[in-house]
This record gives sequence, structure tokens and C-alpha cells, in this order.
Amino acid sequence: MITGVPLATYAIFPALKDNPGSWIDFGSVENLELDNFNMLSYEFMVKDGWIILPQRGFVWARADAEKQIKIFSSTCTHLACNVIWQEETQEFICPCHSGRFNAQGMPVAGPPSRPLSVLEHKVTDGNLLVFMKV
Amino acid sequence: MNDMRVETRSQKIIELLSLGESRDRLLAFEVPKDALTWTRFCGSLLLVLLILLFFSGIFMAFYYSPVPGTAYDSVDFALFKIPFGSVVKGIHHYSWNLLLMVMGIHLGRSLILGSYKAPRQMVWVTGVIILFFVPLFIITGDLLPWDQTGYWSTQVRLSIISSVPFIGKSAARFLLGGSLTGVVALTRFYIFHILLLPGFLVLFLAMHFHFIRHRGLSEPLGTDPVFRPRIPFYPNLVNRWLFLFIIVSVVLAIISRHWTPPLGDPADPTDSSYIPKPEWWVLFLNQLVSVFKGGLAVLGSTLIPAGLAGLLIGLPFMDRSPYRHPAGRWKILLSAAILSGFIIGLSIMGYLEHFVLVKH
Ligand code: HEM
Ligand code: FES
Repeated sequence: MITGVPLATYAIFPALKDNPGSWIDFGSVENLELDNFNMLSYEFMVKDGWIILPQRGFVWARADAEKQIKIFSSTCTHLACNVIWQEETQEFICPCHSGRFNAQGMPVAGPPSRPLSVLEHKVTDGNLLVFMKV
Repeated sequence: MNDMRVETRSQKIIELLSLGESRDRLLAFEVPKDALTWTRFCGSLLLVLLILLFFSGIFMAFYYSPVPGTAYDSVDFALFKIPFGSVVKGIHHYSWNLLLMVMGIHLGRSLILGSYKAPRQMVWVTGVIILFFVPLFIITGDLLPWDQTGYWSTQVRLSIISSVPFIGKSAARFLLGGSLTGVVALTRFYIFHILLLPGFLVLFLAMHFHFIRHRGLSEPLGTDPVFRPRIPFYPNLVNRWLFLFIIVSVVLAIISRHWTPPLGDPADPTDSSYIPKPEWWVLFLNQLVSVFKGGLAVLGSTLIPAGLAGLLIGLPFMDRSPYRHPAGRWKILLSAAILSGFIIGLSIMGYLEHFVLVKH
């Protein structure tokens, strides 16, 4: 007990802390091509143990004529590959196991069973901000 | 004359180290002559491959730097700028691929010839545990070069681990030391790969040999167990091992020189076009995971693999008949063949899906 508890805590500690997440600026909303999914890349700094590293990736953003915006995470809900929007078929396809999601993010074919996760967003001073948790 | 001097000098050293007793025991140690038959070849080959993995791993660690920003460059440097870089990394790379195949044959032989049966149950159990260590080595090793393949395979494996009910998420977080695949994770993977796992592997290997020594090698089928000629362990068997070691090293070195071991592009988490392809040995697991959908997903990711592992470990306790000849054990062998058939079938399905029918 006396040695086990401290040692286990030592090894597990970083796994217990949750990353708080933050709002990431994706630039002006005007840049979004309407009625289509736009691939928006991000790079922001996160603390990883003892260093601060850039975290990179992308999200899928869609704005319609009424400026209704929807943001999908690019992470496939099956096994975490990046899904790609296909304009011709109006579907997201996942290259890894041919999973498919429709424009609402619902799984329509292949192994995924959960919808793509929707990311929280807001528009401040004409800029699109998305809440990212890594 | 010269010989005499060498003899006495080594005698003196043995004396100095008080090893006289151990030497006498080693020289008196005998093994059955059938230890040299070709059906036992795989065990010796495994030992050689493991030693090669350890040696090549230690040498690679001279250059390897476990930090995301420099890991890739350090591997690239050791591979292309250092003389024999491709040989050292190649021996590591080809050895583990070969190790896994040879382990399969080694296990299959024991299954067919019934050598897992009493009194050798624990030899089988420790052997299966050693087999289960190899995927852990591969999972942790794959991330080390920090290339696209390693990075993305790791993401896929982590999400499979996370999908295991109850413990999956915490296990993945413990492995990574957080939620990111970054510097903390790489440090952990490194220390697992070169310190903890090798330590445990050596422990189980020692147990494997301990049980073999005390429970003996199984008698070759159809021979008279009373008349079983014996040969000295040293030098007969040891020399065979050394000979095999030299042959395998040279062959693998030549292969590595010709086919440089793979190192992909540096890991890029944003690269959407990169499609991770499962390695040959996980194809069946991958396929299991993608065959079962929705609520049944636990079946593919947890229950079936765990069940198979349980069957494998528990085999000597379920099949208790002392009868060893394959002809009289067709039920066990048929079930094993059907299960292997399923695994091979799933692997072929996975191969077709990932390597032949890929569409972009
Ligand atoms: C059963 C034993 C082992 C297996 C299956 C194994 C497997 C692997 C794999 C899959 C890689 C990724 C690189 C590649 O595939 O080419 C790797 C890299 C590495 N391994 Fe091992 N390994 C084993 C034992 C060891 C040991 C005992 C050490 C050191 C004491 C070691 C040190 C390293 C190092 C430093 C690297 C990174 C360098 C590089 O990738 O070029 N390995 N190992
Ligand atoms: S990871 Fe997307 S379908 Fe499997």
C-alpha cells in the first residue's frame, strides 16, 4: 500500500487530467462557400505534458444562405480516420473501411453506427469560432 | 602446448569467478537427441530471432530520440546516414515479422503433436503468454519512428482499445498518459517497448525454459520412450544455436541491404488523404471489428478475441486425455482447423478490402 499507491498515482496522473478545450478562430464567416462543406484546417497550441505543441487537424463547416452554420468533426466515429466530403454524392466518405455519412452527419453505410460529432461554434465580430477539445 | 595454456587460463578465470560448479553442471547437462530433429527447429529459430531483436533494438536506441519533433529525423538519420543503418533497422523489422510467423508454426506443431498435454501444460501456457506479448511490442514499436503509418495505425488501435467496454477508455488514456498522441505518449510507448515489455518477456521466457527443463521435451510419437538416446547440451545443442544465429543474421542482413526497411513520411495528423492499412497480422482482428456493427460491436472488438485467447490458453486444461497421436484427436484438430480457417478467411477478406479493392 505504502509504495503501491504513490507509484500508481505517479504513472497514472497525467491520464486523469482532462483537457479543458478552447475556442479556435477560423477567420471570417464570409470566406465560407455557401451550401457546401468547407474543409477548415486548424493549428493551435496545446500543452502536452511538459511542452506546448501545435495540434493540427481540420473540421467540416457548412453555412447556408440564412447564415445557419453547422460544424462537423472530421473524425470518423468508427475508428478515428478522417472523413472526406464528396460533393458529387453529397456524402462524407471514410477511406478506412468505406464508412459513409450523409450531409446531416448520420451514418448511412459501412461500419460506423454513431453520427459525426457536431462541434459547438459561435460568430464573434464576423469571425467563426469553434470550441475544440483535443 | 598452446592449447594447454588456454585451457589453464580459462580454468583460472572460472576459479576466480567461483564458477566451477556451474561449469560442471553445464557439461553434465544432457538433452534428448530428438532435440535436434527438424520438427523442433522453430523453437531454436525463435530464440535466435528474439536475441536478434534485442541486439538490433539496443543498437537503434543509440540514436533514437523519443520526442515527436525529432523522433522521425533520428530514425531517418540512423537508417540512411549511419553505416549499416539499414541492416540494423532491417534486422529488427524483418525479425519481428518472421518471429510472428515462426511462433504460429511453433504453436501449430505443439497443437498437432499434442505436446501441450500433461505434464507440459505450463510450457504451453507460458508460450501463449509470450505470443501475446508480441502484439504489445508491435503496437508500442510502431509509433516510435513517428511516421504516417505508425501514427495512423496507433490512432486506429487506440480507438479499438477505447471501444472495449468499461476499461477501454481508461486503458487508452493510461497508455497515452492523457488524451493526446504526443510527447507524453511517445515517452511512455518507448519505455514500454524497450524496458518493461522486454523485462516481462525475459521473465516468461525463463519460465518457459524452466518448465521445459523440468517437464522434459515431449517424446517423439511412435518411439519407445524407454530407449531415448541423449546428447550433451553443451556443445552439441549450443553449437547448433550459434550456427543458426550466424546464418539467420547473415540472411536477414542481406535482405535488409536489398530491401531497405520501410520508413514512411513524417506523421501528419492533418493529412486527410492518408489511409492506414492494417498490417498482415491484424487483418483478421480488423475485419472482426468492422463486421460487427452498432450494438454488436463489442462482439468483434472484445468478446470474440478474448474468447479465442481464453481457448488458446486453456487448451491443456480442456483437452485432458493423455492421447497424443493426431489420428486419435481429430475432434480437437478439426475444431482448431475450423477456427484457423475462420481467421485465415477473415484475413483474406481484410486483405482484399484494404489492398485490392481500395477506391479513392
Ligand atoms: C519481441 C520483441 C520486439 C518486437 C516485436 C519489436 C517490434 C518493433 C517494431 C514494430 C518497431 C517499429 C519499426 C519497424 O517496424 O521497423 C520497433 C522499433 C524499435 N524497437 Fe523494437 N521490438 C522488439 C524488441 C525490442 C527491444 C528488446 C528493444 C531495445 C532494447 C527495441 C528497441 C526499438 C527501438 C529503439 C525502435 C525505434 C527505432 C526505429 O523504429 O527505427 N525493440 N520495434
Ligand atoms: S474508421 Fe471510418 S469506417 Fe472505419
